[in-house]
Order: sequence, then C-alpha cells, then structure tokens
Amino acid sequence: MNFSGSILLVDDEAHIRKYVSLILKQLGAPTVVEASNGEEAIVAYQKAKPDLVLLDISMPLMNGLETLKKLKALDPNSVVVMLTSMVNRQSIDEALAHGASNYIRKDTPKEEIAKAIRETLDGQFQ
Amino acid sequence: MEPPTRSPDSDFAGRKVLIVDDDRLNIRILSGILKSEGYVIAETNSGEGALALYPTFKPNLILLDVMMSGINGYETCREIKRVYGNDSAPIVFITAKNEADDVVEGLAAGGADYLAKPFQRKEVVARIRTHLRSQMLAEQQKLLVEQLSKANASKNRFLGMAAHDLRNPLASIRGLAEFLRDGVVGPLAPDQLDLINTIHTASQSMLRMVNELLDVATIESGELKVLPANHNFCELIEKCVYLANIDAAKKNTHIDFVRPPNAPTAWIDAAKMQQVVDNLLNNAVKYSPPGSKITAEYRWNTSEFSFGVKDQGPGIPEGERDKLFKDFGRLSVQPTGGEKSTGLGLAICRKIVDAHHGTIVAENLAAGGCEFRVTLPFHL
Repeated sequence: MNFSGSILLVDDEAHIRKYVSLILKQLGAPTVVEASNGEEAIVAYQKAKPDLVLLDISMPLMNGLETLKKLKALDPNSVVVMLTSMVNRQSIDEALAHGASNYIRKDTPKEEIAKAIRETLDGQFQ
Repeated sequence: MEPPTRSPDSDFAGRKVLIVDDDRLNIRILSGILKSEGYVIAETNSGEGALALYPTFKPNLILLDVMMSGINGYETCREIKRVYGNDSAPIVFITAKNEADDVVEGLAAGGADYLAKPFQRKEVVARIRTHLRSQMLAEQQKLLVEQLSKANASKNRFLGMAAHDLRNPLASIRGLAEFLRDGVVGPLAPDQLDLINTIHTASQSMLRMVNELLDVATIESGELKVLPANHNFCELIEKCVYLANIDAAKKNTHIDFVRPPNAPTAWIDAAKMQQVVDNLLNNAVKYSPPGSKITAEYRWNTSEFSFGVKDQGPGIPEGERDKLFKDFGRLSVQPTGGEKSTGLGLAICRKIVDAHHGTIVAENLAAGGCEFRVTLPFHL
C-alpha cells in the first residue's frame, strides 16, 4: 500500500481503538490519531488534517452521523469510512447519503476490516 | 315481585344493559329483574333510539325486541354490528315463544342469543350472566394478548440491546487474540499460544451466538428485510464450502461439492442466503462423525433452484422433527466435536428462507444421516 498520510480513528470504545489501530499499523499506516468522541474528532481533524477518517456510528453525545455532517461541512473532500456494529441498514444508508465513502462492520474478521480500509485508500490515493 | 334468587353478582354489578322494546310493560319487567341484579339500565322504545344511545351509554349487553315500528330489531342489530364490529356488545333478541324463524334470523343478523316471552326471571338472569361473562373473558383475553405482545417486544428490545453491546467487546477480544497469536507483538511460547488459541476459539463461538441472538431479535421485531439482487448463488456456495472445509478437515471429514456448469444467477439477498448455506454446512460438520462424508449439491429447473446438504451423522431423532426449525429447538443429538450452539441457527434459516418465499426441509436418509434442502423460486 503506497500510503504515507495520517488516519483519524474515532470510537468511544477504547478496546476498539486499540484493535483497529493494530490493524492500521499492520497495514503500514504511519500515523494514527485517536479520538473518543465527535467533538474530539472535529478538533483532531482540524489539527491533523488526516487523509482518512474511520468513524464509529453510535457514540454518545455527538453520534457518528452528526460528526460526519460536521466534518463534511468543514471539508467536503474529507474521506470518511463508517465503523458500525449495526444490523439495521438505515443509519448506514444515511451515512452513505451524507458523503461517507464506505462502511465497515466491526465484527467482521480483521482481514476483511483491513481489506476494506486498503480498498478505500487505494481508491482515493493511487 | 319475587325476591332476588341470589345476591347481586359483584363481578357484574355496574355492568350496563340497554333494553330496547316498544312495549312499556316488557321494559318494566326486564328493568325490574336487572336492577335487582345490580345492573345499570338504559331504556328506549325503538331501533333508532338504540342507535342514538349506543355511543354515549356504551352498553355491555343489549336486549333487543324484534318487532318494533321504525327499523326493526334485525336491522338495528345489523347496523350496530356494521358500525361497531366484533367488539360491539352482545345482542340478545326478545322474541315471542315458539317463533323458530325469528330465532334463526336473529342469530343470522349477528345476535348472540334470544329470550322468549313471557320472561322467566331465572332464565333472564342466567342468560345475561352467561353473555356478560364471555364478554368479560374476551376483554380480559384481549388485554392479556396486548400485555404479552408488549412483553415480547420488550424482550426483543432487551435481547437486541444486550447482544448489540456484547458484540463489540467480543470482536475486540477475538481480534486482539489473533494479533497475539500471529506474533505481532512478539513470539509466544507454545503454552502461551495454547491459551491464546483457547481465548480465540471461545470468543469466536460467543460472537456467533451473540449474532444469532441479535438475528432472532431483529427477525422477531419484524425488521428482517430481504434486499434481493441477481447473484451467482453457485459461486457463493463454493466459497462457503471452501471455508467450512477448513473446520471439516479438523474433524477429519470433508464436504464434496461439484460445481455444475452454466448455473443461472439467482434473485437473492446474498448476505442472508450465505448465512443459510453456512449454517447448513456448519451443522453437517458439527454432527458428522470423524471420517464421514458430507455432500453439498446445487440444482435447478425452470422455476426454482435448490441447495442440499447430505451427511452421514446420526440423523434427526424421530419425535424431535417438530423442534428442528423452532427457536431454541435444540435436539438430543450432540455435536461430535463439543461445538456450542444456541439452537437458533435453523430457526433463523427458516425465517430467511420464508422471506425469500422458499422452503427448507430435512429428511433422514435410508442409508443413515440426513439431508437438508433449501428450495427457492427464481422469481420472488
């Protein structure tokens, strides 16, 4: 993967951040910035200007959809992939309609999570 | 006037009876009997009057004379049934004695019963009690069904929430165990690796169970949505067989699948049907004795296609067949490798297949073992 930028990882659950950042490390992502809620994510986005945002859909306070809308308002070119554990497609469809590039189910095997991230990056930064 | 035959029945005291008769004397007699029983009475001398009084008085029972000027009793009864439906108060017709035709027409119009003139006090009281009792039971039953379905919905919400909240941590445990196992953070000694493998297997099987609970909660709350599209079902089966054979190899069994050439595409929800195929293959592996063979098969004709799995396991015990596709319907047969199950897998399969307008059946084979077969129409 020829990608040398940074990735912002947003999830309120610390174990998920730990798990997904290991996947990102294995993928060869050099810089991973973590945020545990929507507000933090907005601040971190402005500071780090990441090339990719991995964004949890269900978070307390400001959920993933709200955060997505704010990120897109801030930077229409931001690349956001939703992290989800939801079965119902409605919130996924809503996120895709609001400009999310893709979505990843957190309970799929880590190889598939890695594949989905790689495909998004390959599609965006060839 | 006779004294009351018994003290007013407290269950029925306060229940409302509407008496409709154009004969003042009849009204007086009936009203006297019923008031002494503790009922609340309203009176009117016409069908029109009954229709006007019904919505405000809201009777629990109506005594209705047949022959009246204006609209007669049958018409009045039909109108009440038309407007208020099956929930309307039971209607008891007042007829002259030995008028069999009146009785038949009254019942046909929706009446619950009839009272013959001249009135026998005991008969009037007994019949009215009977109808009020069955009406009360119906009301209680309706209430009970409402409460039960509310409780069931809460159960589903709880199940969904619990499963949903358990799933993320489990996915992390499984994934982090994989990182450890793969030596990403340094090499492990064999006994450390053994422990990590145990954690991995346990979290994997818990994750599957939690997912099944979540599926059931989703399906039961009516949120199972099938999103069909054209898919190469045969290719999907081939992939599932490939993966299931990894587990099969651990138990020294094998799934044979010969992919037929030129299989047509199928109109299915691929993710959901993959769940069905996985489940049937995993079940076959789960219940197969070591060294036995499993055969998967895909075939089709002009209107439908089917996927079947045959194994050489213990088959389905007679007398347990009806449990097979029910929620938590675990049978007495045991997995041959100690695998865990929720007993929900086949119930979920059946619901997914139903949503595709297909069928799923299981048969014991003459040679031993059993066959599960899913048949789906080409066009939903």
